Amino acid sequence: MSKLLDYVMDALDVETFLICDTEEEGRTLVLELMKEMGFSDIDVINLDFQGVGARVRVRAYIHRSGDEYGWLQLDGEANANG
Amino acid sequence: MGEKKKVLLAPFDPVHDIGLKMIRRGLEEAGHETYLLPPDLPAEEIVQAIMDKEVDMVLISRTLGYGVAELLSRFADLVDAAGLRDKVTLGIGGMAIRPELAAELGFDAGFGPGTTVEEAVAFVEGREYKKDDAGVKKEKQDITSGYSYKFVNERLGEKLERVVDLIEQWVKDKTSPGVRRAVAREELWDVDRWRNREGNPEFDKEYPQLCGEQPKNFYLKGELHPKTRRFTREEVRALEEFLEETKQRIVLNKVQHTRERPVVFNQYGTGCPFMDIGHIKVSEAWGADGVVHFDPSWGARTEGFFDGFLTHQEDGTVITPANLNRIHAALEPSTLWQVRAHRGLNTPETVVLAGKIGADMTKINISYGSLSAGTDPERLTVDGYYAMRYAAKYNMPFDVVTNEELAGVPAHKAFAGMLIVATLGIRLGGRPILQPLFAYSPEAMIGEQMEDNYVDFNAAKIYALKSIIDAPIWPGAPIGFLTQTEDRVQSSMTTGLHACLAASLGVDAISIASSDEAYSGGPIAVPSRTDTLQAVQEGFRFFGSTGISPSDNARKWGEEMVVQIERVVDDVIKMGDFVQALYEGVLGTREEGAYPGRTGRGTVETSVD
Repeated sequence: MSKLLDYVMDALDVETFLICDTEEEGRTLVLELMKEMGFSDIDVINLDFQGVGARVRVRAYIHRSGDEYGWLQLDGEANANG
Repeated sequence: MGEKKKVLLAPFDPVHDIGLKMIRRGLEEAGHETYLLPPDLPAEEIVQAIMDKEVDMVLISRTLGYGVAELLSRFADLVDAAGLRDKVTLGIGGMAIRPELAAELGFDAGFGPGTTVEEAVAFVEGREYKKDDAGVKKEKQDITSGYSYKFVNERLGEKLERVVDLIEQWVKDKTSPGVRRAVAREELWDVDRWRNREGNPEFDKEYPQLCGEQPKNFYLKGELHPKTRRFTREEVRALEEFLEETKQRIVLNKVQHTRERPVVFNQYGTGCPFMDIGHIKVSEAWGADGVVHFDPSWGARTEGFFDGFLTHQEDGTVITPANLNRIHAALEPSTLWQVRAHRGLNTPETVVLAGKIGADMTKINISYGSLSAGTDPERLTVDGYYAMRYAAKYNMPFDVVTNEELAGVPAHKAFAGMLIVATLGIRLGGRPILQPLFAYSPEAMIGEQMEDNYVDFNAAKIYALKSIIDAPIWPGAPIGFLTQTEDRVQSSMTTGLHACLAASLGVDAISIASSDEAYSGGPIAVPSRTDTLQAVQEGFRFFGSTGISPSDNARKWGEEMVVQIERVVDDVIKMGDFVQALYEGVLGTREEGAYPGRTGRGTVETSVD
């Protein structure tokens, strides 16, 4: 059974707004958030801190170039538990 | 047409009923009887109208908001309670409507944003709606058609011809390993035999001897480049299946709205032909008219090509016959395909290989490749000359890029180099395309021509080129270079605005970046391609066939640019040697960021024939 993440062509971006005191705190928080969600190949694409908090986009690469791509091996209905 | 239907159209919304009015017109044109109710009637009155008119169908429109789901659900219940549910079909449309939500609310069908009148009519008539019917029929365009390639500025044209005389004179007894490989690929490599796995024994014997160490080791010892691997059979089978299914489903989009031009190109080169194909199919579906193949930077410094179906885990997709062939086979028939040949040691052979595999276009520039891409000027002059001859033979127009501007070379010097190369291309029977940069270039940063706006200096470039020669123009590459940030909204917006400026100036094509253009931490992700394509489409929709009005500065700077270009061409003539002019900074000095390349230095040979 395919995992849901197999359907992602290359990367999964998460965009949100974090309440934080500094740009650095925002960066730390969003990376921790992604790790908590189970992602490891992660990077902050952009982070815009304007005092109130940080408008942020963070990315988890699911399939990098040259990997074996899950979307080429989909073998049936995916389910949330993989 | 099938059975004539009676349809009640009810805008279940305080104000919005335009969608239903459009559908009503479509239904009436198809011969159906319609009743359009005023907006915002209570559910009970709509149910009464269903009974009074004895309709077969009811189409409700409603933009979802707080409490609306309950309202719609109650309406469906009322229809049921009135005993009408088995007699009428209920459809609901609106901005937030999805088929699954419609079913949940008790409706037979739901139509969300982007629903066409044809789709609604098909629903009423009980026909299956085929999205393909509404898809855009695209045809491959020749962006060079209609151009005379005659000089508007005849005096400058004559001077450019004199420089071309110098180049032809200089090249005539010279060759290089790159040219000899191109000749072997041209004369000994039969693409049909290769495709049929029949082999080209004479080529296989001679080619490795013409290559540098790494490709030679590949052919003689089977050693792959360390950054590459071969695909497995299972992977290839899976790709073929993916492609077959995708090609059946794909619906092509057109971004130009009411315009024919500019043709929109996307660049790809993820490193992996599979991932490239994924990105290409997405680009095509979102409206790209053409795609450009990017090879890795080491490819430009390597004498010769590898072979095989290879993936590469860094930026740039390796040029091999198999990689190009697979990518070519994945393209939609309308998609223009450009394989870049402009900058390295394989320039003429790239043109031959791309031509044999089926590319539509290529990219060649001796000046840029020599001054900003690391290839020795002498070597690239010989290789570029033959590359242009092959481009003419394979009927492939080629753009002449001016990316040396990004290093700091002023536009007029980059343009002088571009115009010399373009004039040479025309002399050799080719169809060059001028490629000025639409960028926040170092020259403009220092000179402050873009302090107020990005419009005037870019417009000046187009005015200047159009006043010199009647030739196609394709700003790139990509447009908006150095104006993009890592914010995808900003990045898409600036790309869209530069696209609109390009359209307004009447250019023939543009290359656009993804919204990941300024992000350097990892590969470009495919949604970033749809971001900019959508932004460009929205920009074209906004401006339609109207335009942007540059200020008087644009004309003034354009005229100044022409004068400066002519001075540079004069200096090349005075030097009496185009190659020497490249080495000595006439077309861009070291202080301006132009460094004559060293790759391939000392490899030009005097031809024996």
